[in-house]
Amino acid sequence: MARIAFAWEMGGELGHAMACSVLARALSRRGHRVAFMFRELHQLALLPEEAARFEVFQAPMSLFDDHGAGPAYSMADILLGAGYDDARKLTGLLGGWLALLDHWNADMVIADSAPTALLAARLRGLPRASYGNGFSIPPRASPLPAFRIDAAMDPSHLARSDARALESVNGALAAFAGPALDILARVFETDEDFLCTFPELDQYGARPAAAYWGPRFGDDVGEPVRWPPHEGSRVIAYVRPASPLVDALIDTLASGPYRVAAYIPELDAARRARLQSARRIVSERPMRLNPLLEGCGLLVSHGGNAALAALMAGVPQLVLPTQYEQFLTGLRLAQVGSGLWLRPEATRAEVSGAIRRLLEEPSFAAAAKAFALRYRKYSPAEQQRRIVERIEDILSRSSTPQGERQ
Amino acid sequence: MARVLLAWEFGEDLGHIRNMIPIAHELRAMGHDPCFAFRDATRLDEVVHAGFEGFPAPALRPPRTVNPAPLTFSDILLNLGYENGDALAGALRAWGDLLALLRPQVLVCDYAPTALIAARRARIPRATLGTGFWMPPSFDPLPALRPWIDIPIAQREALDARIAQAVARATGSTDLATMRELFEADAELLCTFEELDTFGPRPAVYEGPVTDDQGGLPVAWATLARPRVFAYLKPRDSHFEAILRALRALPGEAIVAAPGLEPSLAAAASGPALRVFAQSVAIGALLESADLCVLHAGPGTAGRALLAGVPMALFPMHLEQFLVARRLVEAGVAVMVAPEDPVIDYGPWLAQALGRADLRAQSRAHAAKRKGFSMDAARRRVARRIADLAAG
Repeated sequence: MARIAFAWEMGGELGHAMACSVLARALSRRGHRVAFMFRELHQLALLPEEAARFEVFQAPMSLFDDHGAGPAYSMADILLGAGYDDARKLTGLLGGWLALLDHWNADMVIADSAPTALLAARLRGLPRASYGNGFSIPPRASPLPAFRIDAAMDPSHLARSDARALESVNGALAAFAGPALDILARVFETDEDFLCTFPELDQYGARPAAAYWGPRFGDDVGEPVRWPPHEGSRVIAYVRPASPLVDALIDTLASGPYRVAAYIPELDAARRARLQSARRIVSERPMRLNPLLEGCGLLVSHGGNAALAALMAGVPQLVLPTQYEQFLTGLRLAQVGSGLWLRPEATRAEVSGAIRRLLEEPSFAAAAKAFALRYRKYSPAEQQRRIVERIEDILSRSSTPQGERQ
Repeated sequence: MARVLLAWEFGEDLGHIRNMIPIAHELRAMGHDPCFAFRDATRLDEVVHAGFEGFPAPALRPPRTVNPAPLTFSDILLNLGYENGDALAGALRAWGDLLALLRPQVLVCDYAPTALIAARRARIPRATLGTGFWMPPSFDPLPALRPWIDIPIAQREALDARIAQAVARATGSTDLATMRELFEADAELLCTFEELDTFGPRPAVYEGPVTDDQGGLPVAWATLARPRVFAYLKPRDSHFEAILRALRALPGEAIVAAPGLEPSLAAAASGPALRVFAQSVAIGALLESADLCVLHAGPGTAGRALLAGVPMALFPMHLEQFLVARRLVEAGVAVMVAPEDPVIDYGPWLAQALGRADLRAQSRAHAAKRKGFSMDAARRRVARRIADLAAG
């Protein structure tokens, strides 16, 4: 059986650890050994109990994200803000990944937003796969394509950013006697991209010849929560307390005729008290969405996996983006017709107005249901089974026998 | 051959790396197998280039607002995120898994308190290493950081109890260890002089500085003019401009090393009697004939000035430097401007410091006391003590 390392290096959302833990559980049940190399260790507390058996390591990461990197137009810009602006910094990060993979004796790397782990696996000749939604798995073009659509861009910007990041990559590879890459996109080369989304939701727009594996929401994990037996539309809120619209959201939900099931991690006591009531549950832990989405009228989130779970259950979504990837998801959901998104500086009236519209105008629920119907044969369990099968297929083809790699 | 894990968890100062890498070289020369764990993994490149392996150290989650005036080391740990239970539990679990993976015979902690707790749980021999600030004397309750402020024992006990309870919660342990138990090490490697120890003097072995931070641009005094003032400054310090103005107004010659300064600004500020370098310079030769050293009271540079017998004018930027500065003033070898003091014209103040015969005499006396001190020998002693721990 193989030793499989899950690597999460960039991005601070809740979805990474949860999605990794669901796939890790499936691999572990097949007899594989799993280690988590995660960016945020506090999220371990939110994972299903089974994840307590896996080994856990801190992922090498830059402590200063987006430090002076300016607005990001492409994945190259995001890399530049995460340590790829300087070959010395990237040498440190790459050295950290190599040390972890070598000592843990990994047979394969599953990278969830972890480009430097992919580089380390490349250096060691380890099989590797990307696992994420569209955003973290950019189309492998040179230069890496732009995802920003709302700002003018100097046409040479993409090539310049690619060249800068590539220079660091090649400097870091040279420090470990690795051959240079010709284009930055090769960082993202894998044995398989588990592109966990649908073409309609892909932040880069539908890409040709790409295999879409479907979204990776684990709607069967988390705390079982029941709707309170009261009147009123059912609203799920899955947001972070630091996001700018949280207070407007709490006030709207608390003053309206709603039943609420909310998960807001690390929520302070005062805000919790404002929201919590007999009709409004505030969960301490991530909630199991599977039964909760039935009969639900709206899910409010930042546009992560929960929004996709809602879409697939035919439930309208309100997206409150806190960064660009989430904005793009909000935009896609609005294009599908099943959701709305709000700018971080939206007013309270806009928040309450959007919630009312999404609940009252039948077109949103109709669009969500039509989308769910289009993919009615899609099953997260089947997706996971196929991913596990593909991972085992890659492992069985990998030329170096297990245990003899170093 | 023993594997030794050298861990650095908190603090921005590169002095941690500069201390640990030469000790690792020494350990390797003795036949041991050192490796590193840094929280800021982007800094592991120096480890890589020195031919060692480096791992990321598990990170905590600091609170959104911190106490700007911590009273004890426990208070500092609260600022670093010890009360975020999920994060502390995750970090301790990750330290435990890293220790189980690497199986070091010794863990050496340079400002790595969470690693220290994990090693205690894993029963791995452990040493603390540093210049003293993060190594409070092992008492219950922990002493106040500022000894001149009277803090009731109950208040210090309450701070310690918050940390002890946070650790017990995070480890699911019912055994409520005291701070002394949590952070006590098998060896305390104080790589500094007692005049620089923020908790000094204490009944411990002061090994002295272990690295002379070699490298830096070689620079020599250009004239025979006196006085000669050498300054090692951070350009982001609020006093920076005023200090440059004051140095320019002094007679004699001044050399300023200001790593991080825009090179064009350094060139613009330079003249025949004052040269400003936007990088670190080789300070050994300069200090030999300097009359005054102007610095922020970082323990590394202050140690060099102490060994060279050069009086110091100190502009501490944060608590640790302020506490070091206070010790040096007590020793009679320095004058200081406190971080909260308003910015004034420092010309007369520096001129007065240069004229003080007592500062000169005390500085020379402290240097004479250390005649023959060798950083190479200190480094070897420290490495030997680490190896002895491995041998059990």
